[in-house]
Amino acid sequence: MMPMKNYILTLTIFLPLIGAVLLLFINNEKKNLLRYFSLIISVITFILSLGLFFGYRDNQVGFQFVTKFEWIKSLNISYHIGIDGISLLLILLTTFLTPITILSTWESIQTKVKEFLFFFLVLETGMIGVFASLDLFLFYIFWEAMLIPMYFIIGIWGGENRIYAAIKFFLYTMFGSLLMLVAIIALGVSAMNQLGYFTTDYTVLKTISSNLLYSTQLLMFLAFALSFAIKVPVFPFHTWLPDAHVEAPTAGSVILAGVLLKMGTYGLLRFCLTLFPQISIDLAPYLSVLGIIGIIYGALVSMVQPDMKKLIAYSSVSHLGFVVLGIFAMTIESAQGALIQMINHGLSTGALFLLVGMIYDRRHTRLISEFGGIAKVVPIYSTILLIVSLSSIGLPGLNGFIGEFLILIGTFKSSVLNSYWYAAFAATGVIFAAVYLLWMYQRVVFGKLENQHNKDLKDLNSREIGLLLPILLLIVWIGIYPSTFLNKSELSIKNILKEVNPTKVELIKK
Amino acid sequence: MENNSIQNILESLNYFTPELALMLTFFVLLLVDLFFRKSKYLLPAISLVGFIVSGYLLVYTPDVKGFLFSTGMTNIGLYVIDPFSFFFKILILLAMIYTILFSLSSKEINEAGGNRGEYYVLLSSFALGMFLLTSTIDLLLMYLSFELVSLSSYILAGFTRNVKRSAEASLKYIIFGAVASGAMLYGISILYGLTGTTNLYLINFYLSNQNIESLPLVIAGLLIIGGIGFKISMAPFHFWTPDVYEGAPITITAVLSVASKAAGFALLIRSLKIMFIDYTATNLQSSAWAILSQFKWNELIAGLAVLTMTLGNLAALWQSNLKRMLAYSSIAHAGYMLTGFVILDNQGIMAILIYFFIYLFMNLGAFFVVMLIADKLGSEEMEDYTGLGYKAPFLGVSLTIFLISLTGIPPTAGFVAKLYLFGALIKAKWIWLAVIGVLNSVISLYYYLKVVKNMFLRESEIEYSHNLGHGNLLITLSLLIPTLLFGIYFKPIIEFAEQSVRIFGF
Amino acid sequence: MIPLKYYLILSAAFFSIGIIGVLTRRNAIIIFMCIELMLNAVNLTLVSFSSFFGDSSGQIFVFFVMAVAAAEAAVGLAIIIALFRNKLTINVDEVNIFKW
Repeated sequence: MMPMKNYILTLTIFLPLIGAVLLLFINNEKKNLLRYFSLIISVITFILSLGLFFGYRDNQVGFQFVTKFEWIKSLNISYHIGIDGISLLLILLTTFLTPITILSTWESIQTKVKEFLFFFLVLETGMIGVFASLDLFLFYIFWEAMLIPMYFIIGIWGGENRIYAAIKFFLYTMFGSLLMLVAIIALGVSAMNQLGYFTTDYTVLKTISSNLLYSTQLLMFLAFALSFAIKVPVFPFHTWLPDAHVEAPTAGSVILAGVLLKMGTYGLLRFCLTLFPQISIDLAPYLSVLGIIGIIYGALVSMVQPDMKKLIAYSSVSHLGFVVLGIFAMTIESAQGALIQMINHGLSTGALFLLVGMIYDRRHTRLISEFGGIAKVVPIYSTILLIVSLSSIGLPGLNGFIGEFLILIGTFKSSVLNSYWYAAFAATGVIFAAVYLLWMYQRVVFGKLENQHNKDLKDLNSREIGLLLPILLLIVWIGIYPSTFLNKSELSIKNILKEVNPTKVELIKK
Repeated sequence: MENNSIQNILESLNYFTPELALMLTFFVLLLVDLFFRKSKYLLPAISLVGFIVSGYLLVYTPDVKGFLFSTGMTNIGLYVIDPFSFFFKILILLAMIYTILFSLSSKEINEAGGNRGEYYVLLSSFALGMFLLTSTIDLLLMYLSFELVSLSSYILAGFTRNVKRSAEASLKYIIFGAVASGAMLYGISILYGLTGTTNLYLINFYLSNQNIESLPLVIAGLLIIGGIGFKISMAPFHFWTPDVYEGAPITITAVLSVASKAAGFALLIRSLKIMFIDYTATNLQSSAWAILSQFKWNELIAGLAVLTMTLGNLAALWQSNLKRMLAYSSIAHAGYMLTGFVILDNQGIMAILIYFFIYLFMNLGAFFVVMLIADKLGSEEMEDYTGLGYKAPFLGVSLTIFLISLTGIPPTAGFVAKLYLFGALIKAKWIWLAVIGVLNSVISLYYYLKVVKNMFLRESEIEYSHNLGHGNLLITLSLLIPTLLFGIYFKPIIEFAEQSVRIFGF
Repeated sequence: MIPLKYYLILSAAFFSIGIIGVLTRRNAIIIFMCIELMLNAVNLTLVSFSSFFGDSSGQIFVFFVMAVAAAEAAVGLAIIIALFRNKLTINVDEVNIFKW
């Protein structure tokens, strides 16, 4: 491979960080310059990641754009990055959402603009790094380093209860990830016992982890899974999420829902499955049940929320339940569906948060009861909200359908779970989703325009439409022609499943 | 015979130059203080020069192959110079140099009036005591240097004697300290009774070759661990720590929390390792506590470590005074480091060394920023820090980074420290201990974040502006940069620590 | 000749009395006297062992302990005086600015 090509990935990861540092040298008062500068940085990052997208060969097995430098020699820790189809799509999602989110803060963030953008760009580096790391040590550093900017984003620019929410978010994730650290070190030590040298390289650890004692593997799996489950969040570890979402500023919510939560599911897919295949198969039913509980619980709680943002937050619990189910059903369809569902959730929930944020900027309330009958006042807003809601519900022809459909089919066929009930229960989640979202839509948009404050709501301006349009485009694109993206990841997904359980994967080939 | 030992002593002096430099500094300071009371910068300058010269001599002292000050009767002397003591001496010198620099801009010290001379004199005797502690292999010298450190620190803790809480802290410190050293001394006397010698190597020799009753040995071991445990504020001997740390001038708090703790750890590791190891066993891991095998020492230490860190962290949660919170946090950090001591093999000791080196920068940094702010603000209460991050951004950000590093979150150096510590524990199959350490880090996150929260997440209308001088800026940066740099590039510390685990005779 | 055991028991008793005194008395001066008692108990042990072994190092140790004890007492009394000037008391129960 050409060396130049390899640096693209590193550059994609660190360009936002470089941008963030440069940002510090710009005068505080020049708010627009700050905004344009960080927007440009994030757009360039997006363009770079497009380079990854087009440079990625989907007929090639294994990691691509691999870069490996020695970092700490005595521990064999290296700066080892590379992507496969799964990380590619998630990196793309990150770089795609970041400029949109930055654009969305144009008017809503007026205080401490520089600090906000700084944290935001640092966050982007952390997120891309998490998806690209092939060394668990490096992975852990990106994973943890990201907590700090997110803590500040929630804590400084959030709503009334922001401090409580920020600390809760930080403590929950820190708790999980420290246990993961113990498991990572333990893996490295067992590598030392088997190979004679300590290492945290994912590609090496993969080969040794299955030789360990079953009980050891189980404990390590649980440590990893707990950390990821808190991040996803899988029921019953979800309690930090509503607080964090409600209190975070719109941009924070978008990134939190759009990307941060995906790191949990990505971790489950990438590390839990391949490092501990046997345990994953044995525990798959339990985790799937947790996923299903999440689907139904999240949907039911969403229904009774008076606050739009909280409703969407709980709907995330429900949607990500699908992803967890898809991962642990361990069929190609379900895993592909889970991946596409991650992207979908990032797009549609991100867009929903943006839309709620936009109306909050106008009315300074998010209570559903405050609205009603605004369809005539803000037609464009109502139309876009409809499309996005439908996408989130899973209407055929839009993206949500593809993900949920694939997951359900895969779960139905799954030989690991081996029961129809999983799919049957999960399917109720789709119905509930229709209930809570359409009901919210109805109460907000239709009906009589009674509240005086709503009479002179302004419709979306061109900036807001402009930042929503790309998302809408993708929503439709994935809905109609998902193969653009599915093709990229198919081989990688197949590969992971093969590593988990070769026989069962062969059985259910398409 | 007579000639021989004099010869030996004279020869030994060549290797003893760093300590001699400190002694010289002590006397020069004493004299200069008599004649030049008025000058503000002379005394600190002399101390700095003294420390730097001592450091220079330290670096250029050859690695000695024998014992120092042997008395002819036996070949085994009082004192050794090995990479292990070198590491701690460097650490202590760094901490002392920073303390002097801190003192230059400390309001407390500068307003204490005409007796500033004593302050610097005592600091140099304090440093000398710690130097001796790290290298001693004789119970007598151990006791004397222990007392030298203690006596100097009692006075230093109460240095601002017109302040009520300072005098009070000093009294508590000396009562606890005297009892602890009395207990340690009683342990020493029992050990002397059992073996008939005060030399650590000879004690080991007798212990491993004679059948020794285990009860008195256990009592002696407990008393000695307790006495040293007081110095490193190990629970349940930590009661003095919060009071003294809060009451003492903050420069002294900083040096107590780093240097004196480091010396205590060096002493603990060296004395127990030499006394109680089984040389005949080939496997270092299992031989570490071999002689005391009737009693599960490592489990006792593990229990104490858990107790120490948990008590420290839980008590820190409720503190509203920043200095006191940092005191409890330093108790917790002693607990983390003790877990490395449980293993007592090279991995564990290396982890402790790495931890100390990093802890030096982050902890001194935190104390320095707190001192700068307290001098200006006149308060160490967390409530008064509200919104401070925006009024003094540089200090706010620096303190945040130091605190994040103390929590152990990457990419700061504190993470590397914890990584190696937990790594050593996991390697030695003390996984439950590592998990408890990890859970404790989560608790600690909460109270460190409380400070960050007050500084950045809450707004206030206080009037505060801070014009850092260039000097203070440089000092802060010199602590801040290692804290960040070692988080990403930690090869040098690892190598330094790897070379330094060699204790003489191993 | 009095057996070694007796000396040891006596010194252990002194040491215990000293510890109990430190823990129970409230007057700072008396606390210091109890600490001195502890140190002297140690001295007794050292001397008796030393004469038992016929080895001089224990007795040398005692001289050092005495010197250090004197230094410690001097520092302690100075601190007590400093405290007395501030608070007009040497009762350790009243030395209570610091709380948990």
